[in-house]
Amino acid sequence: MTDSQPKQIICAVRGGAESRDTVSRAIQLALETGARLTFLHVMDAEFLQYATIGPLSVVYNELLEMGTFAMMILRDRAQRRGVTDVDYVVREGSIRKQLFQFAVATHAEVLVVGYPTRSSGRNVFEADEMDAFVTELERDAHIQVIQVKSANAARQ
Amino acid sequence: MHTQARFYVLISTLVLAGLVLAMPRQSAKGQGTEATGLLTGTVYDHQEQLVADARVTLQPPGDTEPLAETRTQADGRYALSVPQSLPDQLTVRILREHFEPVVMVLDAATIQSLQAGQPVVLPDTVLARQITASFWIATLVFIGMLLLIAFGKLHNTLAALLGMSVIFAVSYLGRPISDELFIFDFRGALRYVDWNVIFLIMGMMIVIAVVERTGMFQWLAFAAYRVSRGRIWLLMLILMMVTGVASAALDNVTTMLLMTPITVQIALALGITPLALLIPEVLASNVAGISTLIGTPTNILIGSYAKLSFTDFLTNLTPGVLLAMVGLMIYTQLVYRSDLRASDAGGVSSLMMEKLAERARITEPDHLKKAGIVGAFMLILFIAGDAIHLIPAVTALMGATALLVWIQPDIEEMIEAVDWTTLVFFIGLFIVVGAVQEVGLISVIADAIGQFVGSNLLLAVIVVTWFSALLSTVIANIPFTAAMLPVVGYLTVTVPGAQSKVLFYCLSVGSAMGGNGSLIGASANMVTSGISERAGYPMSYAYFFKKGFPALLITVSLATLWLIFHFLIQNPATP
Repeated sequence: MTDSQPKQIICAVRGGAESRDTVSRAIQLALETGARLTFLHVMDAEFLQYATIGPLSVVYNELLEMGTFAMMILRDRAQRRGVTDVDYVVREGSIRKQLFQFAVATHAEVLVVGYPTRSSGRNVFEADEMDAFVTELERDAHIQVIQVKSANAARQ
Repeated sequence: MHTQARFYVLISTLVLAGLVLAMPRQSAKGQGTEATGLLTGTVYDHQEQLVADARVTLQPPGDTEPLAETRTQADGRYALSVPQSLPDQLTVRILREHFEPVVMVLDAATIQSLQAGQPVVLPDTVLARQITASFWIATLVFIGMLLLIAFGKLHNTLAALLGMSVIFAVSYLGRPISDELFIFDFRGALRYVDWNVIFLIMGMMIVIAVVERTGMFQWLAFAAYRVSRGRIWLLMLILMMVTGVASAALDNVTTMLLMTPITVQIALALGITPLALLIPEVLASNVAGISTLIGTPTNILIGSYAKLSFTDFLTNLTPGVLLAMVGLMIYTQLVYRSDLRASDAGGVSSLMMEKLAERARITEPDHLKKAGIVGAFMLILFIAGDAIHLIPAVTALMGATALLVWIQPDIEEMIEAVDWTTLVFFIGLFIVVGAVQEVGLISVIADAIGQFVGSNLLLAVIVVTWFSALLSTVIANIPFTAAMLPVVGYLTVTVPGAQSKVLFYCLSVGSAMGGNGSLIGASANMVTSGISERAGYPMSYAYFFKKGFPALLITVSLATLWLIFHFLIQNPATP
C-alpha cells in the first residue's frame, strides 16, 4: 500500500460467487481508509460469434444492462456495509485495455482484483497472464494491486 | 445509396424472391414431345435415388460420334430426340461422374420403332457407384469442416466457405490432372443449395429483428417473476414455458440471447445462482424449439427436404415435445431443488426489483402490435398454406415485407439485422454436404444404416433418433442434419412403414434435443454460457454435461416413446 491513505480504490470484478471475497476485501479496505470505492465491470462480447441468428445490437445493450445491474447490487451491498462514497462504472471492450485505461484516468491508488481460480469455468486471466498484467499496472499505471486469492485460487 | 432507396431495394428483393420461389418448376416431362422418334427413360442410383445431370448419348457401337445427346433432369428423366435416319445397330450410353458407365444395346424392334418415328421408353437404368479419389477428398473436407466448427478454430461461416472453396479448387484445378479428382462444377454445386431454407431464414430474421426491439422478452421474463410471486420453483417453470413457446415461434438462439441477461438480473435480485434458472431455460429452448417448422434451423432444413408442412410438425411432433417438456420440468425441479431454496444474498432485494421493473416494459408497443397482427396472419398462412402449395419461405418473405412496409423502420438497422453471415454459412454448408452426397459418402452411410436396421421400422426409429441425439452432442447439429437428410430419405423409401416420414421426425428430435447433451451441442447453449460467464457465473463443460446429459436421456426417451406410439401403434403406415 502507498505511504499515505488511498483516496480512490477500484474493485474490478465480473460479479458472481467467485468475486465475493474480492468485493468483501475492497469494502473492508474502503471502510478502513475512508477512500472512494468504485466497482468496475468490463463487458466483452466476443462470445457472440456463436450466435447464428443474432440481434447483436440489442443483445449488446442487454449485456451492458446486465453488467450495470450486477454492479448496482455490489454498490447496494457496500452501502449496507457502511461505505458512503461508492459508485460503479461499466465499460465495454477488452478487459485488459479498459482496466488499464480506467486506472490511469482515475489516478486511483489501489486496485482490488480476484486471482485466477482452479475452477472449470474460464478465468478472465490465466495465472501467468495475471502476474504479468499486475506488474504492468504497478509499473505503468502507478497503482497498487491487491490480488485476493480465494480458497479455490490457482496458486496458493 | 439513399436510405429510402435502400428500403425499396430491400422490399423489391423480398417480393422478387417470393415470386421466384413461387414459380412452378419445369420438369423434363414433355420436353421434346413433338419431335419424331423420341427415346426416353429414367436413371436411378442403386438406392433408387434419381440421378440428375447424367450424359445420355445415342450412338452406333464403337467409339463413334453420338447421333443424339442429352442430360438427365432433376427428376432423373431424359428424352433423346432421335434423327430420322438410323443405322441398324445402336447403343445408349449413360455417363455420370462418380458412377460406373452404362452401355445399353438397343434391340432390332426398338430401332425399328425409332426409325418409324415412334416414341420408345427404355427400362429404368440403375447406375452403380464408383469410389474415386474425389470421394476421399470430399470426405476429408467435410470432416475437416466439422472439426473446425467443433473446436471453434474458425467461425462457422468461414469453415463452410473454406470447405466450399477447397471442393471447387480440387474440382477445377484437379480435373486437368485426372478426372478422378472432379467432384462437381459450380452449376452442379448450386443444385444442392436449398433456396427455400435460405429465404425462409431470411424472412424470419426480419420478423425477429422487429420483435426483439420491442422489449417483449424482457417484459415476459419479468412478468414471469410477478406471476410466480416469489415462488422460485414456479418462476423456473414459467420461464421454461415462456422460453419454450418463444423458441418455437421465433428461434431458440435469439430467444436465449434476449432471455439470458434479464434472467441473470432476476436471479441476482432474488439472491439465487442464475444457473439454476438459465440451465432449465436453455434445455427447454432446445426441446420446445422443434415443435414448429420455424423453431430451429434443423427443422427448417428437414421441413424443406422432406416437404413437411408447418401443420405436420405441429400435429406429429408437438405432443411428443410437450411430453418431453413435462419430463424436463420434473427433472429440473429435482436437480435444482436445493438451489431454488437457497438465497445467498438475503432473498429478494426490493430495491433491485424496482430497478428491474423500470426496465422490464414494452418499449415499442406500436411495433409489437403490428408484429403481432402480421405474425398471426403468417401463422394462418403457415398452417393453411399447405393446401394451396404455398411454401413457408414465401409466407416468411411476404410477412417480412408486410411488416417492413407497415412499420417503415430504419432500413439500415433492418439490413444489419439480417445475419448475412448465417445465410452464407448455409449456402457453403449445402455445397460441402452436396459434395459428399455427390461422391457417394452419404450413400455409403445410408447403406450401412440400412443394412443394420433392415426392414425393422422400430429399430430404424430408435437408431435414427439416438444416433442423431448422441452425435449432436459433439458435432454441430446443422451440418449433421444437412448430411443426414439424404440418409433418412433413403431409409424412408427402403424401410417398410417409414413412408409416414417418421424418420425425419426422429432426426428432428435427435438433432435438437441432442444439443442438450453438451455445452457445444447447440448454439443456444454457447450464447447462454457466454452471457452467464460475463455476469460471473461460468457454465463449464463439465457442469453443463452433468445437468444436460440426463436431460437428453429423459427428453429423447419420452419423445421416442411418442414417435413409436404415434407412428407405429396409433397410425401405422401401410408398407
